[in-house]
Amino acid sequence: MDIPSSLAIVVLAAFIHASFQLSVSVLTLLSGHAIGARRSQAKVLRLSWGFITGVGVMTLLVLSFISLLFIHGFGRAGVPLVVWAIACGLVFGIGIAVWLFYFRREKGTKLWIPRPFAEHLTDRSKATKRSVEAFSLGLTSVIGELIFIIPSMIISALVLLQLPSLWQITGIAAYVLISLSGLLIVSTLIGSGHSISKIQKWREDNKRFMQFAAGGALLALGFFVYVSKVVAEVSGAI
Amino acid sequence: MHQGGPTIIVKRHGHGHHAQSEHFDPDKMRQSIVAACLSCGVPTGHADSISRRITGQVSEWLVDKPEVTSEDLRRTAAHYLKTHHPDAAYLYEHHRSTL
Repeated sequence: MDIPSSLAIVVLAAFIHASFQLSVSVLTLLSGHAIGARRSQAKVLRLSWGFITGVGVMTLLVLSFISLLFIHGFGRAGVPLVVWAIACGLVFGIGIAVWLFYFRREKGTKLWIPRPFAEHLTDRSKATKRSVEAFSLGLTSVIGELIFIIPSMIISALVLLQLPSLWQITGIAAYVLISLSGLLIVSTLIGSGHSISKIQKWREDNKRFMQFAAGGALLALGFFVYVSKVVAEVSGAI
Repeated sequence: MHQGGPTIIVKRHGHGHHAQSEHFDPDKMRQSIVAACLSCGVPTGHADSISRRITGQVSEWLVDKPEVTSEDLRRTAAHYLKTHHPDAAYLYEHHRSTL
């Protein structure tokens, strides 16, 4: 796989990551509570940035950790094709699961994550008053949606390991920045005075489309990687 | 007609949790309505005035009710709030269903 194709896969995986909504929901709640508690606009922005930094740091750590596991597991010999095939299978499986289960069928933007975890995040977003608490809330919210983002991270790690060192760092940085794009957009909207209720209404009105797009993009990613890596190498060997 | 003390609010948190109950607290309701209004960009003074009006209407609604659920209370307050500020009513009613 050449460098442009590899980076294109990482960028697509990062956009899929960005389309998942748990962190966006937590940021909406956090900002709503901060505005409702009559905190200054500067404080609301500091909390938002603390949260986004936490999400970015945890995304960076998880992606680096997965890459490290592959390096330790398979060393210089390279990752076997069977691991690529399993990773593509995981992407397909989670893609279909996202189509079927991502948002709950009731009103609002409730997600299929364990309810105690969702209640914990909801309560913590209300109790958060300092930027450092917002940072740790960001770290936690990435763990909460790990089940949905793990396939795109695994594929990205596999692809990045094949690149030269400089491109690996570029790829990781690009992945983290793009995965934060949804949060950056919401934070900018809130910072520029847009109503939280209008943002939340938009999210609720378009949740089925976002669910379809995220699941469909995961299937497309899995198919593309399977064909360009597994099928290409197997047919090349024959 | 309910002649006793303040109305009991029955709260239920998630599956498998026991119901809790507490007396109706107008201040608590006023604060949560103000928060919803401020989140929608309503000026502070206007938010305070809307919240006082809604809390008064809800208190009247509760007069003949010895016990209501927190969901009923939230729905009723949102119903009254809708006439003053639909966006704030939406946020107030659905804030527990964001995540």
